[in-house]
Amino acid sequence: MKLFSSFVKELKIASRGFYFYIEIFMAVLILAIFLFAVPDNFNNKNAEYIFLEMPIQAEEIYLEAIAENDLDKQSEAVKIKIDNKEKDASLYVTEDKEIYILNSREDVIYMGDIERKVAAVIKMDENYEFNYDYYLQGYESDRLKNILKILHVESSDTIETAMDNQDVRPLLTNYETLSDKENMLPSVMVFNGSLMGLFIIAAYIFLDKQEGVIKAYALTPSPVWIYLMSKVGLILMTSVLSSFIVLIPIVGLKPDYLLLLILLLTTGFFSASLGLFIASFYKNIMQAFGVIFSVMMLMIVPNISYFMPSWNPDFVKLIPSYFMLEGFKSVLLGNNDWTYVLTISGGFLIIGLVLFFISNMRYKKTLVG
Amino acid sequence: MITVKNLYHSYNKDDQYQVKDVSFEVKKGEVFGFIGPSGAGKSTTQNILTGLLQLQKGEVTVGGYDVKEKSKDRFNKIGMSFEQSNVYSKLTARENLQFYGKLFDVPTIEPEILLNLVGLNGKEDVKAGEFSKGMKHRLTFARSMINNPELWFLDEPTTGLDPAIAADIKDIIKGKNNEGVTVFLTTHNMFIADELCDRVAFIVDGKIKLIDSPKNLKLQYGEKLVEVEYFNSEEIVKETFSTVLEDDKKTLQNIIENHEIRTMHTKEATLEEIFIKVTGRGLI
Repeated sequence: MKLFSSFVKELKIASRGFYFYIEIFMAVLILAIFLFAVPDNFNNKNAEYIFLEMPIQAEEIYLEAIAENDLDKQSEAVKIKIDNKEKDASLYVTEDKEIYILNSREDVIYMGDIERKVAAVIKMDENYEFNYDYYLQGYESDRLKNILKILHVESSDTIETAMDNQDVRPLLTNYETLSDKENMLPSVMVFNGSLMGLFIIAAYIFLDKQEGVIKAYALTPSPVWIYLMSKVGLILMTSVLSSFIVLIPIVGLKPDYLLLLILLLTTGFFSASLGLFIASFYKNIMQAFGVIFSVMMLMIVPNISYFMPSWNPDFVKLIPSYFMLEGFKSVLLGNNDWTYVLTISGGFLIIGLVLFFISNMRYKKTLVG
Repeated sequence: MITVKNLYHSYNKDDQYQVKDVSFEVKKGEVFGFIGPSGAGKSTTQNILTGLLQLQKGEVTVGGYDVKEKSKDRFNKIGMSFEQSNVYSKLTARENLQFYGKLFDVPTIEPEILLNLVGLNGKEDVKAGEFSKGMKHRLTFARSMINNPELWFLDEPTTGLDPAIAADIKDIIKGKNNEGVTVFLTTHNMFIADELCDRVAFIVDGKIKLIDSPKNLKLQYGEKLVEVEYFNSEEIVKETFSTVLEDDKKTLQNIIENHEIRTMHTKEATLEEIFIKVTGRGLI
């Protein structure tokens, strides 16, 4: 009863303050951006800028070969802005790239040097063999540089034949994938749900300290954990609400919402407890801000690994948000991997309970300090 | 109701104590005044008694409970009115009291009754954030009574209130005391202490200098003189007489019988004068 009345009180205060509406507004804003500004899939085609330095007959043969891979088997005349001048170019669009044929080596160098594009000059020597000049940016990996060095040792036909003879078989064939838009949602949920919860619960505590109401609460028979839990309850409610506002219109009925709810509640509980724990060491939000900001930044790091799977050092797997991202992705895939998601949820629940317990012990001593 | 023995407290947890060797007792049904200037250690002592500060050194029992005990049951018996108003500004007066009342395990007083008592009737559904400073103070005061406390801590209960409201608050305190409530009053206002307290303790620099009733203090430290203004052939004459010397007593009697008295005062010391005399310090 005391917990319920404390929770109702928190709801009333939140509904009359601005933090609650900031979270809801952020959710609506994110939804609007996702619905109207983010495409389902991004354009992944690389653009290459090439100049063919060869006799006209050889150039025609080369362009015919490129045109064979073009989606509509012909080039498109386009204008490209080079050094503040509109210049003519031919565009070939294949399944995985856009190839711009430019009219001079200088233009290719400009695109590589100034516009930081993939740029190359293909020339024919006196033995009628092709030579390639690549203009790199300097940050390319040794692996890429090495492959460029050996790429033209053999004829392209030989390489293609060798590639065709390679037998590549995926071990798992029935896996689901997310669209580019859906793939961004786990990151949004971690930020809007968990990380905002961490910050906002600390803000609520410091607001109470500032108003002095904590002192009045401390002189009642009501235990401290009820005070803390009612705030956690409020954070969980707003986290679930804002997440559903974003998710339901975008992914519809694809995910298992019960599983999603469990994951939202446990990750939210963990983050709120972490926020309580951090806030217990400080008297006001200005003092705590540095630590809260640092923790939030640390929790954002696994996003790099999430969007660039090739960068996945072991230490990233020690950051809790890594598992939040993987858990939310698993739920959004709709493959109902209950074991995986419940394992993650259980982990967050246990760590959250430990943090809450320690926070409770600390607040018993420092709540009014 | 309260027993304090050899209480020490240091905020830096070193030997630079803000409260030093404080000992006193408060009997059930008594109004006990804790008087001293700012920084004297009044609030520190009170915060230790209420549990807002942890006991470092000494023995303290409040309402029969050792303050070292972790149980929060004792707060069912205790009420506390803070000097700084601390109510939820986004909740109405009624909501503030309703919420607070639900935190206790004992029967509580209806918010409307309390609001009426402190003159906030008609303001039940106004958010506390819209209240004036004095109204917030009255709401904080009302909240401290919600659990019918047996022991009532009052920290500067009339500070910042206009005289009429302050008089009402004093009447409420007197009324509650008549019902048997023990009052621990922290103040630097000597007039309210004089009017309300059965006994007062003077505290300066963390040490108690003196504990006694205001009446005894006045008798002990006041001068035994009477100052009289009377008309003598249309002239106003002002004279001072001893209430001990026989000649003075006879002269005074003669003046009372034969002249029109304009004013007559005993030269009784005020509590503030006694405080300054005892501690060598003012109250500001």
